[in-house]
Amino acid sequence: MIIAQTTLDQLTPGQRARVKRIAGKGAVRRRLMDMGVIRGVEIEVVKVAPMGDPIEYLLRGYHLSLRRSEAQMIEIEDR
Amino acid sequence: MPLSFTIALAGNPNVGKSTIFNALTGTRQHVGNWPGKTVEKKEGTTRINDYEIVVVDLPGTYSLTAYSLEEVIARDFIVNEKPSMVVAVVDASNPERNLYLVAQLLELEVPVIVALNMSDVAHSRGLKIDAQELSKRLGGIPVVETIGNRSVGIDKLKRAIFELATREHPGIVPQIAYGDPLEAEIDALQAEIEQDELLSQTYHPRWLAIKLLEEDEDVTGRLAAGDHETVLLTARQAAQRILDCTGEDAETLIANRRYMFIGDVVSGAVVRPTTAVETRSDKIDKVVTHRVWGVPIFLLLMWILFQFTANVSTPLLDWIGGVVNGPITRWALAILDTLGVEGTWLAALVVDGIIAGVGGVLIFVPVLLFLYLAVAVLEDSGYMARAAFVMDRVMRLMGLHGKSFMPMMVGFGCTVPAVYATRALENEDDRKLTAFLTTFMSCGARLPVYVVFGAAFFGDKAGNLTFAMYVLGIATALFTGFVIKRIVYRNKPPQPFVLELPPYRLPTPTSVWLQVWENISEFLQKATTVILACSIVIWLLLALPINGDADSFNNVQPQDSVFGSLAGTIAPVFGPAGFDSWRTTGALISGFIAKEVVVGTMNQVYVGEAASSTPGEADKTNPFRDDVGEIVTGFGDAVILTAQEIVNIVPRTVNIIPGVHIPEADWLNQQEEKVGSSRLEGALVAAFERTAGSPDKGRLAAVAFNVFVLLYVPCMTAVAAMRQEFGTRWMAYQIVYTAGIAWLAAVIVYQGGLLLGLG
Ligand SMILES: Nc1nc2c(ncn2[C@@H]2O[C@H](COP(=O)(O)OP(=O)(O)OP(=O)(O)O)[C@@H](O)[C@H]2O)c(=O)[nH]1
Repeated sequence: MIIAQTTLDQLTPGQRARVKRIAGKGAVRRRLMDMGVIRGVEIEVVKVAPMGDPIEYLLRGYHLSLRRSEAQMIEIEDR
Repeated sequence: MPLSFTIALAGNPNVGKSTIFNALTGTRQHVGNWPGKTVEKKEGTTRINDYEIVVVDLPGTYSLTAYSLEEVIARDFIVNEKPSMVVAVVDASNPERNLYLVAQLLELEVPVIVALNMSDVAHSRGLKIDAQELSKRLGGIPVVETIGNRSVGIDKLKRAIFELATREHPGIVPQIAYGDPLEAEIDALQAEIEQDELLSQTYHPRWLAIKLLEEDEDVTGRLAAGDHETVLLTARQAAQRILDCTGEDAETLIANRRYMFIGDVVSGAVVRPTTAVETRSDKIDKVVTHRVWGVPIFLLLMWILFQFTANVSTPLLDWIGGVVNGPITRWALAILDTLGVEGTWLAALVVDGIIAGVGGVLIFVPVLLFLYLAVAVLEDSGYMARAAFVMDRVMRLMGLHGKSFMPMMVGFGCTVPAVYATRALENEDDRKLTAFLTTFMSCGARLPVYVVFGAAFFGDKAGNLTFAMYVLGIATALFTGFVIKRIVYRNKPPQPFVLELPPYRLPTPTSVWLQVWENISEFLQKATTVILACSIVIWLLLALPINGDADSFNNVQPQDSVFGSLAGTIAPVFGPAGFDSWRTTGALISGFIAKEVVVGTMNQVYVGEAASSTPGEADKTNPFRDDVGEIVTGFGDAVILTAQEIVNIVPRTVNIIPGVHIPEADWLNQQEEKVGSSRLEGALVAAFERTAGSPDKGRLAAVAFNVFVLLYVPCMTAVAAMRQEFGTRWMAYQIVYTAGIAWLAAVIVYQGGLLLGLG
């Protein structure tokens, strides 16, 4: 599985990636970090909501839902 | 140590914090608000040996940053009130993210005990946690395993609390090492803070140093206001140096380090199963948030919730109404009789002002009971987060959150529970906006107005008017949401949606019941004053004569009372909308008490049928025993009818499918009797025609009147609910906005109709 994309929103269900960096500033970024989205953590896409947004992820053993716009802030490592 | 001390309970949302709180304090608790905030504060006491311990339940939070109100409240309490210790309730099945909060508590240098809750869930998922090892790796702080809902480990927790509090040397709180170059900067900044006596007394210097490097808005703001510019400057320079040297901002580095610390702690104390098992929760979720089934399942659940608040609650509501208006009123009259004040204004005040007001409050109890019951089940089961997940896309169009849908849906039943249902939303602005919009969802009490007017002016096509009103309500909500988001909240940074989807759980009856009880008793305490005041004021307005005989206090015709003349004075305002008679205006004013009253008042003023709310002489002689019997059998019937309404949700739901018709249950043979209001209908047509000038104009004015009824100020109970939840100012905004937009819409309908040649 080769992933050429660079942000989390581009993954499809079942794919995983490691977080490289969170772009942006302010409350959203801070909240993401507090929820454990930091460099090196592995995130898996579980599923997409019926209307295409938000997206459900699995990290650190729990489920987290992010809007596409928020997932876009999360840069992931290329493999 | 004194014989009494305070401890605080902290933890992520949904980890069983309330359960632990209840297990510790039992019934000795008090629910209120944090000073000046709308966030709920729970406080209770517990005894351990000879000590009286005050337990304060901090808001459930993931972190202690300055970005959310709850987090600021939690950390302010720890910083300012300096509790003897914090019990951190941790979800053992999700240790990493939960320990992040513990790491931040340790930074506050407050003694911490970890309650490792949900240990049964962790166990069933194959997670092995070595509590002793965990304690060791956390620098020796006590770790107690608990299963909150079965009270397992509570005694051990109490012992640990006692031991820590009575320890001679409290010991040092372990610190997280932030590594280079952060540590050096923290040390330097800490040294400078320690020079400042005031600062180092208020805050723990190391914590303050870390917060300043994180550029925490709340802390920097306070220091700037307190004239600590030099410290702030040093901190900014230090943060800049860190950025230059590492290429990353201090905030990120600090968060990374905290998680590294946690990684170390967890790696040695927690053993995860080698293969991830698909839990039952995952299986349920596959269906519930399915691409195709997700939305229908959501809509079905919301429909059932709506049925609960709108229909299932009706029998009990009618029973309470009957008891208050019947036996209770009669008993009050009998007592007033024996006191010799019957027929005086005092008796009227008691019956029409106070008893009517209290009755108005009590009537909402069944509605709220079923609302809170359903909401508690949805919350505790974990579905509420999924509802937000499924609906977020749609609600975002209005600038709202996925969780806003549920209150809006409830709003079609009744605005009052809808306002309270916004409690499911975490963000204050989202809550306010959602509550603001729920009033435009046409509630059940407005329906009779459309029905009567529809029948009077449109005959066969009566349904069209009703339908149009519902659509207009939704459109107004969409419009208002759009405008508020664009204008009022224009400069607000986007709020994170970032939402945990907790595992599904079977709700426990005690937990559900406690939530229901807490919410209802709070409603009774807070709403009573406003509603009582309103109903006394209205009574007074109706009792005070303004024309004619000055002695006729409490004995005037409506049009001669202050109420009548007030209505007469206001009436011209509705000229542009075509219905400027004092009668319609009076009906609208009384609609503020409850929208149900609009039709009743119209009956009174147009047809002259007195509403038979005051029982006649004959009724008063009802022996006490009959009354009690009536209350009891009435309650029995109400219970049967409630059960029937629950059963009837099935046919009502299935019957939505065209071509299908299942009859509804009717166990007590109470075929709905249609109220014959043809006399009112005729009088309405004549009166509107007279005021507007021609039959067509009259019809147009009637539509404008309905538009006004749909949109104007919700009833006083809803207003009281708004005040309880969001404060007086926000309540005032709502009154002004709803009145304004209702008037505008009514005028546009009438004048627009005239321009289009409809009149
Ligand atoms: N299996 C299990 N369930 C628990 C345990 N402790 C609490 N619960 C259940 O978990 C649910 C949530 O508990 P609450 O006490 O409401 O959680 P909370 O942390 O106060 O949640 P918020 O009020 O949302 O912050 C309830 O249904 C409890 O009965 C436990 O140790 N094991």
